[in-house]
Amino acid sequence: MSIQDVYDAVVEFDIDKVVTLVNAEVASGTDVSDLLSNGLIGAMDEVGQRYSEGEFFVPEMLMAAKAMKAGLEVLKPLLSQGASEKKGTIIIGTVKGDLHDIGKNLVSMMMEGAGFEVYDLGVDVDTEKFLTTAKEKNADIICMSALLTTTMPFMEVTVNAIREQGLSFKTMVGGAPVSEDFAKKIGADGWSTDGPGAVETARRLTAK
Amino acid sequence: MEFTKLFSQSEVERVHEASLEILENVGMLVRNEKALQIFAKNGCQVDMETMMVKFPRDVVENARKSFVPTYTFTAQDPKFDVTMPGDRPIVVTGSSAPNIIDPKTGEERRATSDDIANIAYLINELPGFDVFSISTLADDAPEGQFSLSRFYPALKNCKKPVRSNTPNMDDLKAVLELGALVAGGEDEYRKRPFINHHYCPVVSPLTFDVESTEAVIYLLEQGLPVYGTIVPNAGMTSPLSLMGTLTLGNAEFLGLATLTQMIRPGAPMIYAVLSTVADMRTGAYAPGAIETGMLQMAHTEMARYYNVPSGGYIGLTNAHSNDAQSGYETGMNTTGALLAGADLFNMGGLLGSLMAFDFGKAVIDNEIALMLKRMKKGFEYSEENLCLDLIAKVGPGGSYMDLDHTMKNMRTIAVLPKVATREMRRRWEDQGKPDAHSRAMKEANKILSKPNKSRFSDELDAKVRGHFKGLVAGDAKWSL
Repeated sequence: MSIQDVYDAVVEFDIDKVVTLVNAEVASGTDVSDLLSNGLIGAMDEVGQRYSEGEFFVPEMLMAAKAMKAGLEVLKPLLSQGASEKKGTIIIGTVKGDLHDIGKNLVSMMMEGAGFEVYDLGVDVDTEKFLTTAKEKNADIICMSALLTTTMPFMEVTVNAIREQGLSFKTMVGGAPVSEDFAKKIGADGWSTDGPGAVETARRLTAK
Repeated sequence: MEFTKLFSQSEVERVHEASLEILENVGMLVRNEKALQIFAKNGCQVDMETMMVKFPRDVVENARKSFVPTYTFTAQDPKFDVTMPGDRPIVVTGSSAPNIIDPKTGEERRATSDDIANIAYLINELPGFDVFSISTLADDAPEGQFSLSRFYPALKNCKKPVRSNTPNMDDLKAVLELGALVAGGEDEYRKRPFINHHYCPVVSPLTFDVESTEAVIYLLEQGLPVYGTIVPNAGMTSPLSLMGTLTLGNAEFLGLATLTQMIRPGAPMIYAVLSTVADMRTGAYAPGAIETGMLQMAHTEMARYYNVPSGGYIGLTNAHSNDAQSGYETGMNTTGALLAGADLFNMGGLLGSLMAFDFGKAVIDNEIALMLKRMKKGFEYSEENLCLDLIAKVGPGGSYMDLDHTMKNMRTIAVLPKVATREMRRRWEDQGKPDAHSRAMKEANKILSKPNKSRFSDELDAKVRGHFKGLVAGDAKWSL
């Protein structure tokens, strides 16, 4: 029994095994932050890697993220006692007028998998809700998703509002129609084509 | 022409029954308040709190009684009106791409209202296209004129039926105001409503959204033309089997059709879909995949069972340039759909799964459209067309070149393509080995270099511009 077993169970997306193993590790006194970084988060990095190489299909990445999250739930009460520092806080949602959330949910899970504290506001989220929650949670990044080309302009509305109100939140945008050019044009800080890329971007934006 | 059938009668009936089971037992999540009330008033079981709606089967079967078999796209110029199924296949541009492939540089960039004006003019002139669905967004839209900046250049430069969507009610009402202004009054407009509204109010699986549903309800109540497209994506928002996705999509069509007929019994509809199978390796959207064509064929067979016109976004491509992939994806999927009896083909001009408009792609799609129309026209079976007397007259070893019969038919019997080459290799080499895309761009250039005769009159344009302050120019301007 070791951290490596937890790591392997996540990569094999065996939810029950992850929970059992994490509980056992905690009971035997394994360092919680070590377990988190090298067991759970480390495993998700490998999952992202395998996905990028075409070995893992999307459902496998999703299942691994779910397994990781199940393990994280076990650790959460212990982590809040100060065992580990947060990687950063992320507010995420699909923009106003848009109900498409599959990609957003995947990114949300991957972000959690990478150790970020994630507040998922769901779908049809307006600027006010993004900003209110970001202020409340002292967020680092606001992530906005859209599938419909006609709802993309709402991303710009939020980015502008952050600028106008002099707030310090970083912004990331994603979704099928969102390109790097679009992200640059509206002044978003980050953009990615997929979940693992979004995690990389978020890490870059929150690097101290 | 006999249509390709994928299913037996009992299989078709089973898909219908299964769809009723889904609507009755699983139900739909309806996020629009008005729609919830309409469903409640008309016999559905509605939970106002959870927004869940269950459809007793007799409610759906009752709605089916008022389905009508035709749908008309109205144009500014009546000669361009088209009605399904009689005028099938109706070929439409793909719509609302954010980007365009710049005709000069070949690079992708955000599209503008000037681009829409050029595209509108091109579609007006290309005979294969029947309806102009506004191909792109307008990145230069002034604040508050997101939709006006699309519909104004479209209507100004294209007399064929114009089709598109609006993101909210304010935009929809502004667009209708524009329509009335162009028609010379609201009553005049209602006689010939030449803006053909389209939405995707159902978000798979089994969910009605807020804004699009609101627009659909409003337009139905107003007696104006509107239809919806059902868009399940297997492996993501519907089961990863063709049968499962067909059945879920069919249930969603019936859900939307039931709402439609509750609001206005006899309202014309199109059984329109963009049913796809996701590429599970990456989750990529794959409208160009062959499964899109297969699903369209199956949905069309279901539409025939309901006796409503059918079609959808069929003939899209995932290719990022106007290349071989672009051609075979559009060609194969539309051919399948045509043979299965689909009426409506939202296929023209877009690359990268609805991301970017390309002028060359639009010209090639025009040619594909002409081929589809030729195919639909078919063999024109008749005793006369067997040509037995001619065959006897010419006899063995003769020639048909110099016959009156040949002279009479030589301009009409075959599609005479402008893009596809039939040159000998040597001549083609002498011309600089132009590929299909460059030949297509040449055609686009030929059309767009001339002034647009179908443009708004100066009086009308002055009236429109006086009414909506700060409108984009909306004029076709072309130089390569």
